[in-house]
Amino acid sequence: MLIAFVAPSIVLLLLINLYPTIYAASESLRNGTLATVGRFIGFANYSSIFSSSAFWKAAEFTVIFSVVGVFGSWLAGLGIALLLRDRVAVPSVFKVLLLLPWIVPVVVSATSWNWLVATPESPLPQLAHFLGFHNALFLANPTLAKITVCVFKVWISFPFMMMMMSAALTSVDKNVYEAAQIDGASRWQTLRRLTLPLIARSTYISWILMTIFCVNDFPTIFLLTGGGPVGATTSLVVLAYQTVFEDLQTGTGISIAFIMTIALVLVSVFLYRQIRKVNIAE
Amino acid sequence: MSTADTLVQAPAGTRDRTLDRTGAVRIQPPRRRISWMRTGVMILITAIVLVPIGGVVGLSLRPALGSNSNAAITFANFVNMFSQTQVLTWLRNSLGVTLVTVLVSVAVAAPAGYVLSRGRNRLVSSYSLMLFIVQSLPVVTAVIPLFILFAKIGLVDNLLGITIIYVGSTMSVSIWMMAAYYDSIPVSLEEAAWMDGCSVFGSFSRIVLRNSLPGLLSTAIFAFLLAWNDYLVALVFLRSSSNFTFAVGLESFFQQNSTNWGLVMAVAVLMMLPPIIIFAVLNRYFSIGGLGGALAGR
Repeated sequence: MLIAFVAPSIVLLLLINLYPTIYAASESLRNGTLATVGRFIGFANYSSIFSSSAFWKAAEFTVIFSVVGVFGSWLAGLGIALLLRDRVAVPSVFKVLLLLPWIVPVVVSATSWNWLVATPESPLPQLAHFLGFHNALFLANPTLAKITVCVFKVWISFPFMMMMMSAALTSVDKNVYEAAQIDGASRWQTLRRLTLPLIARSTYISWILMTIFCVNDFPTIFLLTGGGPVGATTSLVVLAYQTVFEDLQTGTGISIAFIMTIALVLVSVFLYRQIRKVNIAE
Repeated sequence: MSTADTLVQAPAGTRDRTLDRTGAVRIQPPRRRISWMRTGVMILITAIVLVPIGGVVGLSLRPALGSNSNAAITFANFVNMFSQTQVLTWLRNSLGVTLVTVLVSVAVAAPAGYVLSRGRNRLVSSYSLMLFIVQSLPVVTAVIPLFILFAKIGLVDNLLGITIIYVGSTMSVSIWMMAAYYDSIPVSLEEAAWMDGCSVFGSFSRIVLRNSLPGLLSTAIFAFLLAWNDYLVALVFLRSSSNFTFAVGLESFFQQNSTNWGLVMAVAVLMMLPPIIIFAVLNRYFSIGGLGGALAGR
């Protein structure tokens, strides 16, 4: 009887998520374009992808981007959540202000970061020049562009981590800290042996969610660099987009997205199992 | 305090110990003195983090290139943007798409989350697993087949088309959020209603929903942010400028006028205002921690 409660959501999920995924699976075995359904070519798309250097380059950048995005934003978010936990005046004001990077539309923040770093006359290159780093071309030098995109992602994502970690920290029983204090535990020991294990579950959840956010993130990269310079910041999502909508090779593009999805599901399931372990341990 | 200290011979670092009336050692909670050092560090961090957003606001108030105004601050950009850009069209499109997304998404997620919260059987757990898998599927995989499908039924370059996709992509998280909120409402209320002959539908709409305003609001905020901030779906599906939402409108305007920072940033300010206002007003309803708990419990 309760099926009426879930029916609309199931219809939507089937239409918007599962149908396209199944369609994509079949399309990835064909050589179609956006206008025509191609003929069946088996795993030719996949084998051509695995032998293409652009794919491996994009895969490598996706891993870098996600690892830096997840752990960078987690460290920043946890650090600020710990700082805000006590003895700071008006912590709620800081919390609201620090949420802004996450609330502001990414189109707006990408525009702003473009103004900050894009040309040699921009504020940040000027600052670098003043500090003695000449010709700091943040978006034109491949290595610098990678770093800039990762920093941009951490800037966008740390508020989410801050909220997750703040919520986890408030649920920690204060008495355990008194016990630790009496036993003479140092600050570092308290953090390492007490706080981190107590918030392990939230930490794993936040890592799973952020991994999904990072791997699937298209606008952060595309709006800031468009995947350039010379493909240095092209992640798998950006590569899939370009392959379909710029090179018009639907089959290949979908196959790239598909490989990425499978890898992502495997990583999430692995992390999800870690949560289960934590649950049992509690 | 001082007498207590001398009485117990407190070792160093346990200044907070005192004796209570029965003579037992009692540990007081650590005193909440404000550390100005920590507050200063936070002010510095916040200031650095907010530079890009301050830049948007600051540039939007600067006189336009080539104007002979000497004023330090001007609102000319905010006046000019209405005549020099299609900002009103983008605003109307974005507001329409976002509001419909919020309403439909809450209406669909509210009952579905109820089943997830109260149901304890196999079907419900497989439904929950389906939500989890769906959430890890990248939008870009879905967008390409949907583009091909929507092209056949005339939903490409159509605001209804992107609204359907937005509602679909809010589903998993919205349902989890609602379920997390229902978990905090005791079942005993509904059981009492059932005893009095109330149906499940009746108890849901009269008892559970009535008490779920914070949950409904946080789901609504989530759907609002997703639809208002989206770029990828709008980029792929919207072709003609009269159908542009704010995100693609601002981006295309920026591509063509990247030197006219004042005007670009004025449009950017207008785009970021609605999410900021909503957050400022409703931020206490939006708990991400609740979402985390909901995910882990299943």
